Amino acid sequence: MIRLRPIVPLLLLVVASAAQAQEPRLAGRVPEAARAQVDAILGAARNRGLPIEPLVDRALEGAAKGAAPGMIVAAVTRLRDELILVREAFGNGASTAELTAGASALRAGATGAALSRLRVSRSGRALTVAAAVMADLVAAGVPADTAVGAVLALASDADDTDYLTFRRNVQRDIALGASPSAALAIRIRAAVSNADGTASPGTGSTAQGAERKRKP
Amino acid sequence: MTDQDDSLDPIIDILREPAELRSDLTERVMSAIEREPSPTVGEPSRVRWWRREWSIRLTPLHALGIAAGLVGLVLAARLTGRTDAPTVPSGARTMTQFVLIAPGAASVTVVGDFNDWSMSATPLERAGGVWSVAVPLGPGRYRYAFVVNGAIWQPDPEAPAADDEFGRANSVVTVGGKGT
Amino acid sequence: MDETDGVLLRRVLSGETPVYAQLVNRYRERLGRYALRMLGNREDAEDALQDTFIRAYRSLSRCEGTHGFGPWVFGILVNRCRTHAAKRARTQGVMVRNDVALAAAAVAPSEGRDALRDAIYWALAQLPAEQREAFLLKHVEDLSYEVMETVTGVRPATLRMRVFRARDELRKLLAETVRD
Repeated sequence: MIRLRPIVPLLLLVVASAAQAQEPRLAGRVPEAARAQVDAILGAARNRGLPIEPLVDRALEGAAKGAAPGMIVAAVTRLRDELILVREAFGNGASTAELTAGASALRAGATGAALSRLRVSRSGRALTVAAAVMADLVAAGVPADTAVGAVLALASDADDTDYLTFRRNVQRDIALGASPSAALAIRIRAAVSNADGTASPGTGSTAQGAERKRKP
Repeated sequence: MTDQDDSLDPIIDILREPAELRSDLTERVMSAIEREPSPTVGEPSRVRWWRREWSIRLTPLHALGIAAGLVGLVLAARLTGRTDAPTVPSGARTMTQFVLIAPGAASVTVVGDFNDWSMSATPLERAGGVWSVAVPLGPGRYRYAFVVNGAIWQPDPEAPAADDEFGRANSVVTVGGKGT
Repeated sequence: MDETDGVLLRRVLSGETPVYAQLVNRYRERLGRYALRMLGNREDAEDALQDTFIRAYRSLSRCEGTHGFGPWVFGILVNRCRTHAAKRARTQGVMVRNDVALAAAAVAPSEGRDALRDAIYWALAQLPAEQREAFLLKHVEDLSYEVMETVTGVRPATLRMRVFRARDELRKLLAETVRD
């Protein structure tokens, strides 16, 4: 009995290694000290039906940047947790691109509730660009709740091109010196007031849109 | 002395209303410049730019902004670029161009979510001082950075910044789907 | 679809003249609004706007190395508007300030415009040109003082003072409106 005890953990270790599939792309890139844990996270993610592509990307990013093993594991874990939350909000049918973009939005400060609302407002349309624009606006300096509010306000009318145009216009206004909040406020006002006109959001008004006088 | 009070807000709102000017402005401009010689810039002037003094007076804040590359779209308009070509009809991939102006570099690659962060997968090709490569990307959000001479991490000054938790700044490109 | 200004600029400079139309389209509304509010009538604003984009095209290679296309083309427009006002003063032989006021007063109210808008445009036209210029750039076009310095060639301290005076004057002129 006493003799067997050291063998038991060894056996468990061997069994565990065999059961864990290894992600080949990590070989030679992710430091050995992180390999086992990252592979474990990937395996568990697969079992849950989570996409592992973003997790592999995150590990490889850390590896490329020469990060310490602990940081790589922490980063992959964090992203895994975010993907789980996003999948709750976006549903099991969400694509990898949607989940990744949603995770960025969460990281930028969107709540799960906000992402759920986005899904409802988009009713069947892809959520990738909408969620990505949330994150991009925050990266440009717009406060998170303002960015989230803007994306939600446009959600039922804007298509992907509209979102990207909107984001570009806000970024350009910021580049010209407007404060991020002001830039967004101006553009969202224009976009929302054009929502039932012929112009698409963020591109500025057509003559038709300009006829709609806002109240003084 | 402050611009902060908001009693003029209703006035400003009205002044911000779009101007109803003739809609054929662009056409008229384009037909006017048809007769003009092309304002091309050749190699010599690109080389000159690196040595030329900035032709406008800079405040310290300007200089800081330029140095930090904070206002990417405006201040770095000369430096780099990235384009999304119109989406191809099927397959949902967009040819996305990555550009970096780095005349002194011996090599430039782009690393990111779309190529497993590999230093060797996507080298840029050089033409003069301009390095570029086109990558087909499906809809999604891709974080990336340039690596110069195999060692220097350089975010894209003309792209939005993206989060990074490993101590080296990222840029991000978002590619749309076709009307989804 | 989502190319930066810098990329479009470079494409035009490498010979793709039709691409210039995209730059024009991006800025025509912003610049058009400024021109209209500054000059007070549609015809002058359209002339100034068209003139601006043609001049910008001619000297496009000089845009490389400055702060990007936006502030640069804005600067050209600001100059065109100053020239327009001065030219009108010379041909009509009246002071610039009154001249613009006359021009503004001559605009027939279009359908749907109410008395408030007329009052605001009238008040704006009462301002000295440099105050109106500063006020529009700061509060309507929402430029920072740093960018305004590039665009106008005037120091931020002076710009601030002009904006302050413009606000004060508008508040006085529109006392009834502001109070409501």
